[in-house]
Amino acid sequence: MAKPKAFVKKEICLACGGCISVCPKDAILMISSKAVVDTDHCNSCSICVKTCPIGAIRWEGT
Amino acid sequence: MKYDAVIVGSGPAGSVTARFAAEAGAKVLIVERRAEVGVPVLCGEGISQKVDTFKVLEGKRWMATKMEGARIFSPNGTTFTLSAEYAGNETGYVVYRDIFDQELARGAVQKGAEIMLDTCAVSLLKKNGRIKGITARHFDEPLEIEADVVVGADGVESRIGKWAGIQTTLKPYDLETCVQYTLTNIDWDSPYCDFYLGKHVAPGGYVWVFPKGKDVANVGIGILASLSESGKAKKLLDKFIAAQPELKKGEPLRVITGADPVAEPIQSFQDNLLLVGDAARQVDPITGGGLMHAIEAGKYAGETIGHAVQKQQFDSGALSAYETKWKNAFGKKLHRNYVAKEIMLDMEDKTLDMLADSLKDYKFEEFSTLSIIKALITKHPSLLVKLTPLMKLARA
Repeated sequence: MAKPKAFVKKEICLACGGCISVCPKDAILMISSKAVVDTDHCNSCSICVKTCPIGAIRWEGT
Repeated sequence: MKYDAVIVGSGPAGSVTARFAAEAGAKVLIVERRAEVGVPVLCGEGISQKVDTFKVLEGKRWMATKMEGARIFSPNGTTFTLSAEYAGNETGYVVYRDIFDQELARGAVQKGAEIMLDTCAVSLLKKNGRIKGITARHFDEPLEIEADVVVGADGVESRIGKWAGIQTTLKPYDLETCVQYTLTNIDWDSPYCDFYLGKHVAPGGYVWVFPKGKDVANVGIGILASLSESGKAKKLLDKFIAAQPELKKGEPLRVITGADPVAEPIQSFQDNLLLVGDAARQVDPITGGGLMHAIEAGKYAGETIGHAVQKQQFDSGALSAYETKWKNAFGKKLHRNYVAKEIMLDMEDKTLDMLADSLKDYKFEEFSTLSIIKALITKHPSLLVKLTPLMKLARA
């Protein structure tokens, strides 16, 4: 089974960009002041999930 | 559209670069992806009084409070006060960053810089393999902006550096992930900026309380991303506030998140390109403070662009003066404090308590890294082993 990908709950995101600066796959973009994960490039490493100071990044399907 | 320099980002690094470049005769454009300069604020809003010497701000509207020093609280509550008497110009101001940034941008415009808002850089424009500007979207319309120099002043998540092939991805070990409330209805009439340490308070970072008036303060936390879990920074900050009677009755006027690079600096120039401020990791790895460095580096970047325009030379040889200048000014300090960060991360809470105990009654003749280390070792000789690498750097 494929690993779940990270996604940003945009209702929570406050656009600090921390996740973007640590993503080793450059898979997160800032679009209209919200972080957005490009799931095609996400390798499910969990760095962004752990980094988000307010828990705005979750796993798909959770 | 053709400019001498296009600057991506209207924070302090971008505006000050624009100011000094325009003053030196360059035709300069700042592009800002957001709809307002300085908004949203993403910062603890503390800055050293050294900012006065750069004369880039008019009036006092940007200033919330003038601080008399700092208090550092070790895990067991031992307090070490760094007063103005010893801290010199390392004491500072708490500012309103939105007004502060707008004043810096206004200063740049007064010198001749132009600003485009709602303009998001999309890629580097290249001709014959050389950077010749950027492509952008202005109110979502595509746009080409030609420029001899592209300046990435685009913050911690800098895309400009990445597009130019500079390795900008931060390791979690080199990033502080932050949350801050601006609280009102608190009883906090203090002339000090407070810092609280401890692995249960803020692993790999600290909690800060920066007063913005007698009943308002910025109360925030930064923790090292490598020690973070999802939402941990906010949980720890909420816990800290709930345990402080003076803060617990506070109501928030603002909540923000932030990301602060606490890394070694990266390459800050190449042909037709400069990186300034957080984009160049010009942040003190101990305090997380980057405002003052952004302004100082912005001055050198602007001056370097001015020279480059006069000579019409924009290759890395012509632009390297920028990196030489900022590294001479504060590069050694950043490196030393990166080493200090690594030493502190390795310390148990009880070692931090020993540090605070060593410093609390020590009378400094001067305030320097070396004098602090001497104070520590005098009272707790067992700290010598841990601090030796730092001592070597401080003496260098």
